[in-house]
Amino acid sequence: MSRRPAVNYLEDEFSSDSYSEEEFPKRRKKVNKKKAQSAMDEIKKQNKDTKFEEDELIEIPLDRPSDFIPDSVSKVFGSSDFSYLKLKPDHASRPIWISPNDGRIILESFSPLSEQAQDFLVTIAEPISRPSFIHEYRITAYSLYAAVSVGLETDDIISVLNRLSKVPVAPSIVNFIRSATISYGKVKLVLKNNRYHVESSQADILQMLLKDEVIGQLRVKSDTLTTTSDGLVRTNKPKSDGLVIAGTAAPASDNSITNTFNTAIGSDPFEDKVEEDDEDEDDDIDKVHSFEIASESVEIVKKRCQEIDYPVLEEYDFRNDQRNPDLDIDLKPSTQIRPYQEKSLSKMFGNGRARSGIIVLPCGAGKTLVGITAACTIKKSVIVLCTSSVSVMQWRQQFLQWCTIQPENVAVFTSENKEMFTGDAGLVVSTYSMVANTRNRSHDSQKVMDFLTSREWGFIILDEVHVVPAAMFRRVVTTIAAHAKLGLTATLVREDDKIGDLNFLIGPKLYEANWMDLAQKGHIANVQCAEVWCPMTSEFYQEYLRETSRKRMLLYIMNPTKFQACQFLIHYHEQRGDKIIVFSDNVYALQEYALKLGKPFIYGSTPQQERMNILQNFQYNDQVNTIFLSKVGDTSIDLPEATCLIQISSHYGSRRQEAQRLGRILRAKRRNDEGFNAFFYSLVSKDTQEMYYSTKRQAFLVDQGYAFKVITHLHGMESLPNLAYSSARERRELLQDVLLKNEDAAGIEAGEDSENMIGGGVSKRVRSGGQSSSATRTTGSLAGLAGGEDMAYVEYSRNKNKELKEHHPLIQKMYYKKKR
Amino acid sequence: MSDSSNLLKTTVNDYLENLPESVHNKLYQSSITCLAIFRLLPSLAKFYVMSLLFNEHSVSYIDLTRWIRPDNMTHLVSSSTKSSSSSAVTNFPGAIGKNKMYQNECLKRLKQLNLIKDVRKQWTNPNTGQLTNVVVLQLNPMFRKNFRNALTGSQMSNDLNNDIEMTDVEEVSEEFLDRYSLMKWENILHFMVGSEVPELPSIGVLSLLRHSGLMDIGEENEFIATPKRFKGDNMDLKSMKITQDGFQFLLQDINAQIWQLLLQYLRMSEKLMMNPVDVLNFIFMLGSLELGKQYPVTLLSDTQVIMLEDLVDYGLIYYPEKNRYFYPTRMATTLTSEKTTFKTASMSMNQVLEGGPEVKDHGSIVLETNFKLYCYTTSPLQIAILNLFVHLRTRFANMVTGMITRESVREALRNGITADQIIKYLETHAHSQMKKLAEEKLLKKLEFDSNATETQQIGSQVKLEVIPPTVVDQIKLWQLEMDRLQTFAGFLFKDFANAQEFEQLANYADEVGVMLWRDDDKRKFFVTEEGIGQLNDYANRLKRHRA
Repeated sequence: MSRRPAVNYLEDEFSSDSYSEEEFPKRRKKVNKKKAQSAMDEIKKQNKDTKFEEDELIEIPLDRPSDFIPDSVSKVFGSSDFSYLKLKPDHASRPIWISPNDGRIILESFSPLSEQAQDFLVTIAEPISRPSFIHEYRITAYSLYAAVSVGLETDDIISVLNRLSKVPVAPSIVNFIRSATISYGKVKLVLKNNRYHVESSQADILQMLLKDEVIGQLRVKSDTLTTTSDGLVRTNKPKSDGLVIAGTAAPASDNSITNTFNTAIGSDPFEDKVEEDDEDEDDDIDKVHSFEIASESVEIVKKRCQEIDYPVLEEYDFRNDQRNPDLDIDLKPSTQIRPYQEKSLSKMFGNGRARSGIIVLPCGAGKTLVGITAACTIKKSVIVLCTSSVSVMQWRQQFLQWCTIQPENVAVFTSENKEMFTGDAGLVVSTYSMVANTRNRSHDSQKVMDFLTSREWGFIILDEVHVVPAAMFRRVVTTIAAHAKLGLTATLVREDDKIGDLNFLIGPKLYEANWMDLAQKGHIANVQCAEVWCPMTSEFYQEYLRETSRKRMLLYIMNPTKFQACQFLIHYHEQRGDKIIVFSDNVYALQEYALKLGKPFIYGSTPQQERMNILQNFQYNDQVNTIFLSKVGDTSIDLPEATCLIQISSHYGSRRQEAQRLGRILRAKRRNDEGFNAFFYSLVSKDTQEMYYSTKRQAFLVDQGYAFKVITHLHGMESLPNLAYSSARERRELLQDVLLKNEDAAGIEAGEDSENMIGGGVSKRVRSGGQSSSATRTTGSLAGLAGGEDMAYVEYSRNKNKELKEHHPLIQKMYYKKKR
Repeated sequence: MSDSSNLLKTTVNDYLENLPESVHNKLYQSSITCLAIFRLLPSLAKFYVMSLLFNEHSVSYIDLTRWIRPDNMTHLVSSSTKSSSSSAVTNFPGAIGKNKMYQNECLKRLKQLNLIKDVRKQWTNPNTGQLTNVVVLQLNPMFRKNFRNALTGSQMSNDLNNDIEMTDVEEVSEEFLDRYSLMKWENILHFMVGSEVPELPSIGVLSLLRHSGLMDIGEENEFIATPKRFKGDNMDLKSMKITQDGFQFLLQDINAQIWQLLLQYLRMSEKLMMNPVDVLNFIFMLGSLELGKQYPVTLLSDTQVIMLEDLVDYGLIYYPEKNRYFYPTRMATTLTSEKTTFKTASMSMNQVLEGGPEVKDHGSIVLETNFKLYCYTTSPLQIAILNLFVHLRTRFANMVTGMITRESVREALRNGITADQIIKYLETHAHSQMKKLAEEKLLKKLEFDSNATETQQIGSQVKLEVIPPTVVDQIKLWQLEMDRLQTFAGFLFKDFANAQEFEQLANYADEVGVMLWRDDDKRKFFVTEEGIGQLNDYANRLKRHRA
């Protein structure tokens, strides 16, 4: 293929997440040995060990100029020595470097231009790390796809990059950007006046589509609109004119990014020409061409476009949609939205239509309000899907709190609640598992489902998209017909590589906020993170070294020193007046700890009523300052009172869980008090696997600029009155208890929790399938150990072939190469 | 005065002080050396020397002490009155006699250098006619004569400054000399950090590096120093690796580095039967030469000519035409002066710490909390130094990026570089932005603390944290990780005749708390070094008891 980029950017990105090797070294070793042997034999058969002459050997030219003379330290960097890239004379005022071989962008955040540069880079590249001084981004095919879909043009991207860069942008980068953006975003599928139009600003692309044997036949000849000689309709390019995002004063504008650059950088002798060209072509660009297709054939056209490498972008021209009734909804006048929320929404409504995509904001930064504001802008029927019934109630309550929607128009669809709204348009809040359920439904819920699937929705909000497996998404997206999709999440990271799917199922990432920035501006709380090292007592360590890996886990969680540290920290923070949440993935440990310390706890099997009771006591009762939560508390539980978080057992190396848990204290009510800090402690047993996982877990937050302080000794812990397990006898008894425990106790909670529940619909099938073949079961637990615990991995791998066809070929090539 | 140059002075002075009196007297025959030694003295000592120099009479010890303000006096007076902030420090009981100590220190040094001598004299009180013993101080007559010469310039013997007309010499500019000497010097430093150098330093330099403990060859092929001058296995020396001292060496400023090597050179020269007086005279003479001027070789002694050739390797001397004339470089002419013109990072750090706002843009390293490191540098030397403990990734024209990883730090630790050294280096070279942020944070903290806790002592825990404290901690932890084994010196007790004997002794050791390890099955135990006496006594008592 001609558009194949010179460098494979994605390989590096995904391989860094490989987890299985470390987790099961022994098993792997055996398999590896066999594999290695057979591979050796195979190689010996196939290739001969011939000696080649010097001139026969192929020389791979490095991508550097011939006059580059490596100096004494060049060797250290290998092919990453780019000192041959000459600096521009005014490099000091330009903030970025671009690495030519992996598309990494390094940004000086203290440069005067950095704010605009960040706005731009977050649109075209994936943020890798954003600490205090120097940020890193990486240009990937996905990020470019996202950039194009919000309306940036290839040449703009390249020229702005060139303006920002201290060195001229390397040809390899330019080529990559061109190859990745040449066909993206060129064709749009627009629903206008209930008719589907294929739209593009370039007439030749449409001509090409019309000549295509499949699409050409599906075209509908329009009689109301005048067509030009080539059979296309010419209209004005959509503009944001007059569209005001609810809650904001100024109309949404799309070109803010490029505009800020023009003003900020001023005239650049090399770039002036480009700008002038832009002006000249303005008349031309403002026109778009389109042809109409029938609504039945939309799916076919979409599929065909994907096949021929022109994936269609879906936009919803909601202002011209007369078929779907309007919903009477608006933000209350008292509702204020924050600048970054406005910015993220302006990406969504940039050209006056609604684009589908994902908005990434830290927990507690007001994702819900972004969703609500978007719904108030579109003003059509809305469906909200979230992860648990608790968050369903929270969404409903938030809608009623922030906007003017009438309670009778808000319906809730959960296992307990199955009423629907009665008007023409309304709001439905439900969970993924309710909608994606494939089992037999009760009569009531079947009726509701029929209602949901039978009608057209203006807008769908998908909460916490990162936790939902692709298969479930596909079902949701196909069963519910919605014109615009908005995904909300805090952490777009997974230990498996399912994130990529979201790009195609929902849309590109529209915006990703900078955590540190928000914390500085007081939108989220300042958090002091600490990792507390608890030495294993010698008896426990002795057993630890002897046991199997499952049992080991139990030993390091139940380490008496860890318990003491936990007790001490709870005591210390309760004295300070903090409200504390203690997280434990392991239910056995959760119960042991909570009972020993006499604190309330919630886990999967805790009944709904009791949960609500405990949570309310935690919020309003000053006698209850500490609660223990299992994984059910990871996401969506909104406890603004909590100011301190202690984690005693966690899910292996899951970066997402770490970030989600941190999110529980980011919205702390007291965050704007002078000098207020929330505290996040992670207790790890020294010299155990936990240390390794802990470092891995922190990677995401550390890249956001959080610093984990290592505490090796808690001062004053020994002198705490009533310190548990302070005598050797108590410790021995505990050890006996732990050793008597079944291996299963070491496992993570299997029952209902926020994440597994989503998988509920799917996992039934998977489990039964798993029993029939032990091989697939292994795969499932591997993925589970690394964070893909929803057990959807199996399903995913079965459907891999099916998915392949639905991916864009460019992505396919880069994304799947290493799997084959 | 910066710390590092103080350090350098003490090392030079230590060396000088330990020389025998005869050598001192020979040294003081040269007025240039007298001047140089005077320059190296602490200021009070200088003052004493000056006051004695043109005083024909000897001065009594009592008189000298009068120059010092007795600081315990202020304590007595000001304790009732309101003390000013400056006297607050000296009021502290521990600070009494600080000035006195300084004075004693100076006098001790002067005596060790054989510059002054105590003479006991009998003195008659004119009023009472009583005879008392008085200690008077005398300046070394040789030093007095030649130092007077140096100052008043009547007889500058052995001086190269006498203009000797030289014809057909090439004109050499100061810039050329600076470039030349830095090139030579950096070549040595490059070799030390293990980067590839176009030209290996000479064997003389290599063996000096090894002898000074700055670099070392691997243990397996231990190189035995031959008594002959600078002989050694060429190949072994080329594969030397930097040691902990060597890394410390790199962190010093250039002047201190040169002195350290020169002292080492002196020590070696003694073994090689070179006249130390000649050597020292030459070094001190270099300090009084003029930059950019050529000097004829004919004025030097034989030893000094040999030295001259050695010093070429360090970039101290530019020696274009053999046996005719040479040029001292700036490195040589600034040897004994208090101000160095080569500004290095550690000096600038001291200036920053002392609060000089004008040197803010000197730092180059940005270190993030995610352990990523960015260094604005074009210097291969700095990159090579970073490469000792940073996993470097990419290099741009004016910046390198890298990451501090467990492996990279462990590698450095294994080479003997300590965590403190790494941290110091990072702090020293921190980018101005990092310093700015650290200062802002500190201010905010101080402000908050003073608001929140009025009664608590303010600023007790607050300090300037230029590099992220988490990174500092982690580097230290990595070092701790390396040395988990603790060793105790002690004694092993074994071969007990019976269980009872073992029990008695072992239990006693347990009781008095000197037991480190015991094995009841094999009847062995191990006690600390301190405990052995006690245990022996007890064992003897038992024996006596039994007998």
